[in-house]
Amino acid sequence: MPRFETDICIIGGGISAALLAQKLAERKPGLDIVVVEAGKRLFDLENRMNYRRRSILYGENAWPGDFIEDQAGDGVITRTMAVGGSAMHWQGHANRFSEEDLRLRSLYGLAVDWPLNWADLEKYCCEAERRIGVSGEPSPHPEDKRSDSYPMPPMPLTYNLAQIRAWAERAGIAFYGCPQAKNTTAYDGRAQCQRCNTCMICPTGARYSPDFTYKRLLAEKKIKLHDQTLIRRLIPHDTGKTIVAATGNHLDETVEYRARTFIVASGYAWTPHLLLLSQSSRFPNGLANSSGLVGRYMTGHLFITAQIELNTKLYPGMNEPFPLISRQFFRCPADQPFVRHDIQIFESAAGRRPRLQAENGAMLFGDDLLNDWRSKTSRGVARVRMYYDAHPSRDSHLTLDPEKRNRHGDAMPKIVYRLDDAAEARQAATRQHIQNIYDRIAKANDTKILSVQESNYQDHPSGGCRMGNDPSQSVCDSFGRTHDHPNLFVPGAPTLPTGGCTNATITFAALTLRSAEQIAQSI
Amino acid sequence: MRRRTLIQSLAAAIPLRGVRTWAQTASFPGAREKTLQELAATVLPESLGRAKSDAIAEQFARWVREYRAGAEMQTGYGYPRVRYKPESPAPRYLEQLDRFGSAPSDLTARRARIAEELRAEKITNLPGSPDGKHIAADLMSFFFQSPEANDLAYNAAIGKDQCRTLKDSASVPAPLKGDANAAI
Repeated sequence: MPRFETDICIIGGGISAALLAQKLAERKPGLDIVVVEAGKRLFDLENRMNYRRRSILYGENAWPGDFIEDQAGDGVITRTMAVGGSAMHWQGHANRFSEEDLRLRSLYGLAVDWPLNWADLEKYCCEAERRIGVSGEPSPHPEDKRSDSYPMPPMPLTYNLAQIRAWAERAGIAFYGCPQAKNTTAYDGRAQCQRCNTCMICPTGARYSPDFTYKRLLAEKKIKLHDQTLIRRLIPHDTGKTIVAATGNHLDETVEYRARTFIVASGYAWTPHLLLLSQSSRFPNGLANSSGLVGRYMTGHLFITAQIELNTKLYPGMNEPFPLISRQFFRCPADQPFVRHDIQIFESAAGRRPRLQAENGAMLFGDDLLNDWRSKTSRGVARVRMYYDAHPSRDSHLTLDPEKRNRHGDAMPKIVYRLDDAAEARQAATRQHIQNIYDRIAKANDTKILSVQESNYQDHPSGGCRMGNDPSQSVCDSFGRTHDHPNLFVPGAPTLPTGGCTNATITFAALTLRSAEQIAQSI
Repeated sequence: MRRRTLIQSLAAAIPLRGVRTWAQTASFPGAREKTLQELAATVLPESLGRAKSDAIAEQFARWVREYRAGAEMQTGYGYPRVRYKPESPAPRYLEQLDRFGSAPSDLTARRARIAEELRAEKITNLPGSPDGKHIAADLMSFFFQSPEANDLAYNAAIGKDQCRTLKDSASVPAPLKGDANAAI
């Protein structure tokens, strides 16, 4: 059985692992770092234009081979399992959380406070934006004050977004371009965005993905990357205090890693899953689980989306993945019922697509179909989406599903999300508040709402190893160091006690970089 | 003997269904090229002109020839599951083309015939991308969901899904030059 000895063993090869490995290699040159990832490495930028073409024309997977057929679970939001993880195909929305996310208990008496303060985390948000490469403009709200400027100028608003912004701001709500992990100038060896309109698969590399970080680290021989290697168990020392090994399979061969420090950077689902899988007679509930909270408080944010008509012509397709954002409702006045949400507005073609059948049931062909389509293009449509706070209960959990096993016989994860009592109780009021905003925008413009749709899944999920100062109420500290095993870290997404109300990648990355600082100091 | 004709002859000679499907896909539309062009002229905008509708028919035929049964499909976000592209639509398309080949020559009558077939298949809207149910709907989807048709509908050089610079994104897209259909 191959056995590898290293200083740092990072399990999982997504964006958190990439940034962590990069920073540790900078802070501690010469440190032996191995990143172990279950999926393949997809480093073929040169093929992405063709993958994109086939994705558009045939609906084929734009990231062929980015999953493991039998490594999946109920409630897991994507199938992606590859070097780079979900950030290979993210849309690049690089919005931040805010101070309120960290102080829900002290400001509103809800959920819990995070065990760190915003000023501390904010500087790591800046670092994450610098490392990833984020283009953006400052928020108009003074509470969103930054300690450093964005590394790149903002993505220019398209003609469509400029019209939409004027339209939406008539309702008295301030909007600006959502920060993007896309190059508006050449940056960090990658080219300027070409507005290809398919950020999910960026064919030029202008949208950040972690493969660029890994390729550089490998070229500079700063890390070793073992892909197609599934870690299935962590092995504690006889004393139970530290972790001494991680075992798993490289394809069909058993492998073992021994390290001074283990970092499970496998995201919100696979991190708690590995801890739970690592059960033994000594640790029947898995590792790092003396609190019984591994796999608990699974979180994210819920959302509602409306399609609203404008009274001006838009030209769908100018830059569909790039939205406007408002953070006006990030701060809930203390004397008002609690509700927090962002607002993101995208250009849309909903209700403006070619159709085969007219209202009278007649089939449309040829010029009749084209003219019918043209008749609908004089008024544009905007997609208005709001992510809102939806705090988890203890029973929002990830468990091992004995009914679903991989080829090795390991039980796969099953996630069931549940809101806490307060979040459940205010659901109706939250929906009404959001509907009121849709009505307000439509009324301010004398236009109509075409549809409203509520999500039934948690977006940008996190949690499962929540952080805290009290070991009986949390799995790890604010650096992701588990309370039970001082050489075991679970940084990034799993540590969030609550999931915020906007895209979470920058926050995950900031927490991870803060963990890296601590790990570098302690090793 | 042309390559496509050869493959088609092989397809007829070999009884294995999988091999026949492969051959029919690789040689699509085979001897039915004119019928496919007639279908395109029937369902696509007349204002494109015959030369353009013939060109779109050829692009669609290429789409069929490059179809990959069994290829991984997008796994979806929120409700991910692994799915694979179903078998090639070519055999079904060829049967449908055969039926269309006997349609009357009058445009209105041809369209009525196609409308009848689509209703029989319960197709009431254009698929987001060709889904193999009916060649007429799929050919229309292939064209009307394209960036070129989007430009035509809006009479503007939007260039959806084409890599463009950031430079002009703040400007209203320029109107199509001259005959709007010339963009196709």
